[in-house]
Amino acid sequence: VAEERTDSELLIASRAEPEAFTELYRRHAEDLLRYFARRTLDPETAAELTAETFAEAFASRANYRDQQGVNGVAWLYGIARHRLGRFFRAGRVDAAARRKLGMPERELPPEDYERIEDLIDFAPIREALVEALDTLSDDQREAMRLRVIDGLDYAEVAQRLRCTQQNARQRVSRGLRKIALLLQERGMQLTTEVEA
Amino acid sequence: MNTDIRALQLLERDLDAVAARERDRLASVERALGDGGPGGPRRLPRRGRGGGGGHNWAGVAAAVVAVLVLAGGIGFLSQGMSGDDAGSAGGGAEQAVGGELATPAPAEKEAPEDGDDEGVTRAALQAPSVSDSSAESWATRDAAGTGRPGVGAVPAQQGDLTKIVRDGRIGIVIADGSFSKGVSRVTVIARRHGGFVLSSSSRDERTGTLTLRIPAKRFDDTMLALRGLAGELDGRVDSQNITGEDVTAEFVDLGARLDILKQRRSLLRTLQNDATTSAEILRLSGLIENTQLEIENIQGRLNFLKDQVAEATIQVEVRERHAPGEEAGTDPENPSLTDSFELGVQGFLRVIGAIVVGLGYLIPVAVAAGAVYGVIRLVRRRDRVAS
Repeated sequence: VAEERTDSELLIASRAEPEAFTELYRRHAEDLLRYFARRTLDPETAAELTAETFAEAFASRANYRDQQGVNGVAWLYGIARHRLGRFFRAGRVDAAARRKLGMPERELPPEDYERIEDLIDFAPIREALVEALDTLSDDQREAMRLRVIDGLDYAEVAQRLRCTQQNARQRVSRGLRKIALLLQERGMQLTTEVEA
Repeated sequence: MNTDIRALQLLERDLDAVAARERDRLASVERALGDGGPGGPRRLPRRGRGGGGGHNWAGVAAAVVAVLVLAGGIGFLSQGMSGDDAGSAGGGAEQAVGGELATPAPAEKEAPEDGDDEGVTRAALQAPSVSDSSAESWATRDAAGTGRPGVGAVPAQQGDLTKIVRDGRIGIVIADGSFSKGVSRVTVIARRHGGFVLSSSSRDERTGTLTLRIPAKRFDDTMLALRGLAGELDGRVDSQNITGEDVTAEFVDLGARLDILKQRRSLLRTLQNDATTSAEILRLSGLIENTQLEIENIQGRLNFLKDQVAEATIQVEVRERHAPGEEAGTDPENPSLTDSFELGVQGFLRVIGAIVVGLGYLIPVAVAAGAVYGVIRLVRRRDRVAS
């Protein structure tokens, strides 16, 4: 069934009809994940922030007001920005909203790392990354170089580093997170805004 | 959702589960509320801060109404208190309103503004000049003997220099058909207090005015008796107005002038006796005559004042409750449309006034409360970020 309600209508309807929120999620989940991925450069963090943002949006959906200039998406991205800011300040994603709703905190499935990285356009940040690589541990730097700069897939990266693929993924992920935090600290703008 | 990202699929499943739980919760709340009206689920109470659109507006409206009612209550309370204060503090010096007999008291102009300790002026200012609403409470207090210095006592002290002319005006509404009884009772009251009915007039045998002259000493007793008459005839006191005019200064002034004129008269008489020419005698007798005329004028004025001081005037308006005529409209128990409208406007203004006063009390409190709340929120937020 084609859903014709606007985001605002969905949010308002979801107060009494919680399923309407899932529709909102389907519309915006991938964009939001990309939004976080491009800013954190880290699939794990991006996935966690996405989950936490939607959880918080669901929990506080009653606070949404259909005001002029604040449509449903803008409201959602308002929460996202807030979450992102807290992540950059605290260096980690908390799970308060998910815990409040009784949602599980899931590990990122292995196959998602590459798929989420695909959402990130690394090209514009490659240069900045090379400089930032100096701040990483040797293991992380090596994994990052193979994965991000040489563009190898995780099987190859793992082979080169003589570790498991999961291990390789984690090294890249942690390394990226560290770089993202570092760049944020220096006030560098990594990506252009993507939200509508 | 067209995504091959597994995490997003899992998250969708998780959110679906949460939505289902929430739906069950809402349904159980709805059942508990016994199938709420047409507003249905939208009216349901919700966890957390804030509610739905309409819900919240109702909440805001209720809060505003509560604040206004609170402010109004505080306003009325504070006005009630300050009004009482003014009543007891300024009562005596108050200018009487609306009474024909309420001639401006010269004493109030001549006397030093804020009653210094000159006994005479003090007493003059304390002479009652009470009107409408405060009249009743004053009379009651006086009757109970707990009020201000006995008002009737002032002119009663004959050795005292103070001379006060007192006028009273009282409007009594009595039961229909009891007008002639009322008039005769008023006459009896006047006689019983050593006074008399100076004049009376009536219309349709239903409304009328009687002017009583009562010895000043018995003035207050008479006023009380007249008030009692209202109750006796199943009626009420419609209005009461008492004024006191201090004529002490005029009295003293006239006395001094009288003395001088008398001395002058005796001097002129001596001169007349010693006069030798008829022209002198004629001139002196003309002067004596003028002086004598002035003396008589002053004597007359003094006698009038003495009379006024010795006897008070009370104007009594007696009216049957449903008597026709222009005054019938002012009966608050049976108000006309105009009166009702005026009463309504007055009430409206009073309520608004009370609310404004109350807000004056509330706003500083609210600002302080808001500051405390802000600090608490700030601290909590910091705790949350820190944890």
